[in-house]
Amino acid sequence: MNEPALQGIAHSCLDRKDPLLRPGNTNCGGCGMSIALNMLSRGIGDRRVQLSIPACCGIVTAGPFPCSAYGAPVVAATFASAAAFATGMARAARMNGEPTRVICFAGDGGTYDIGMATLSAAAERNEDLLYVCYDNEIYGNTGGQRSSATPLGARTSTTPHGKEQPKKDIVAIMAAHGIPYAASISLAHPEDAYTKFKEAVGLPGFRFIHVLAPCPTGWKSEPAAGIDLIRLAVRSGLFPVRTVRDGHFATIDVEPDFDQDALADYFARQRRFRKEDVDLPRILEAIRQNWERLRRLSAGGVRA
Amino acid sequence: MREWTDGSTAIVRGALHAGCTFFAGYPITPASPILMSMLAELPKTGGVAIQAEDEIAAIGMCIGAAMSGARAMTATSGPGISLYSENLGLAIMGEVPLVVVDVQRLGPATGGATTVGQGDLQFVRWGTSGGFPVIVLAPSTAAEGYGVTRRAFDLAERFRTPVFVLTDKELSLTTTTVDPRAYESVPVGARVQHAVGQPFTPYHYEPAAAVPPIAHVGDPTLVRFTGSTHDERAFLTKDPATVGKLNAHLCAKIDAHAAELEWAHSDLQPGAETLLVAFGVTSGALRQAVKNLRANGRKVSSLVPISVWPVPERALAAALQGVRRVVVAELNPGLFAREVRLVAPNVEVVSVTRMDGELVSPTQIEEACR
Repeated sequence: MNEPALQGIAHSCLDRKDPLLRPGNTNCGGCGMSIALNMLSRGIGDRRVQLSIPACCGIVTAGPFPCSAYGAPVVAATFASAAAFATGMARAARMNGEPTRVICFAGDGGTYDIGMATLSAAAERNEDLLYVCYDNEIYGNTGGQRSSATPLGARTSTTPHGKEQPKKDIVAIMAAHGIPYAASISLAHPEDAYTKFKEAVGLPGFRFIHVLAPCPTGWKSEPAAGIDLIRLAVRSGLFPVRTVRDGHFATIDVEPDFDQDALADYFARQRRFRKEDVDLPRILEAIRQNWERLRRLSAGGVRA
Repeated sequence: MREWTDGSTAIVRGALHAGCTFFAGYPITPASPILMSMLAELPKTGGVAIQAEDEIAAIGMCIGAAMSGARAMTATSGPGISLYSENLGLAIMGEVPLVVVDVQRLGPATGGATTVGQGDLQFVRWGTSGGFPVIVLAPSTAAEGYGVTRRAFDLAERFRTPVFVLTDKELSLTTTTVDPRAYESVPVGARVQHAVGQPFTPYHYEPAAAVPPIAHVGDPTLVRFTGSTHDERAFLTKDPATVGKLNAHLCAKIDAHAAELEWAHSDLQPGAETLLVAFGVTSGALRQAVKNLRANGRKVSSLVPISVWPVPERALAAALQGVRRVVVAELNPGLFAREVRLVAPNVEVVSVTRMDGELVSPTQIEEACR
């Protein structure tokens, strides 16, 4: 396990003067989406950006006038069409010769489910935009229903006995489009998050970043425990942190130690997982098979 | 024994007692509680409830299930109806029995997701291409949602058509005491099925207002089902006579049965020169206004349409006898007032509207009666 040396990020002169997510917003305490936005803000630096955000928690964040929580212009998209809105914004910016980078910021419902068609089509056209999926594994904005990103065994308001299906592998799906850049990032590894956001903002073509974003409200976990939970998910191999370039050059960016206690701890610290719903042997086997596949794909390529 | 419940629960119970066997929906405030209840309750009765990946899938699943013999229902709110639109047209053209619950919120777009509105009145009626009629029922109390949902299944089955239950955030989510005797045990009919072994023409109707018997996908009979203009064998055609006959049938199937479909609560007072009209949640304020006005010696009649489509023209015409002024109260820019003006062109129609997320108050209605 390569534990990060850096346990936080100091504010520096390279940061945005106006942060992407401003202080005083109304997000829940411990919101992983907020942490992702702060990381993204640092990755953007002083570049000009525009955001397209569908009808999810991220657009509620924007808040009522005059208190916009975003330090960048935001276009609210319908739930199904964030990537389409972003396509229009990116094409118009290019037509006008503006150096603006367009970023789509959407949750797992808007990415894995209702927005999949417009997302897939934008990726296939290799539109010049960055799509960030903050995945809290639940419909946070409508009362905590399951999405197809909800993991096996998790209780939600529409899976009261625990979800029966595992979540989709969204990085694999997006990488299969052959896009220049598809990656997952760990919020518990700030240098990983920062480096990837920074690179992804600058690259041309379609870029996709998957963020596992703790949601204390939906996960029924301690707000302060979010980062610890992500670290446990990464250590146990449950959440692979990896990059796939051009559809096939794959690397594993954080090497897990497959600690079974870490896995058990991950489930135990979230009340959305009940002991009777979590089939540990099945999950361990799924992790093993998944990593066998990832190792083959990455041909052992590991970034320290 | 009175019970402590809400409109969503009444609708779910009505659906279950009407023999609903299939539900698909997608999370949307304020319709999600119906999805959650159906996911919990329907499997216990041997039925199927699915959370779809979006609204297009939700109504698509329902159409597939309905054509395979299930009694299907879906529930959403305004933005979801937008995504239902194409499949609603298919359900009309393909003659699919289907119940669609619209829990209205303040629109357009995301609008006020947790705010009451009644702005979908015309939208559900004209919500797909072609302008063909649909049936829309609006319960006026939480408890009435039970009987109205049963009636919606009855009509969907018998007329092979989408039927809307048009409710709203306040009626659906406000918990209230309900006398279970208010749950009306409306009879629920069944679709006319094709007799197995007999020759089958998928869309055979005679006369135009008749409903073609259905054979289900999966039956021994080979079934064709189409959203294109078709002849009675469901073969695609552009023959003007056949296409004209088909589209006239889709209109006549509903329009010719208007007398049976119309449904309203009338409270008429002899000598009344003012008629108050309101549907859905706003009828609560109407009832109170009627009480207050009569207590002050005013003679007023009231009418609460339950079938908002077709507009209960017969009950309206009866209520309009001797009336000089109609006051129509609603939470939209005056959408039902338009319909009342069509029925009563020579009477003053006063439109009382509210679109700020608050309910019309009895005082507002009383002031319009001055």
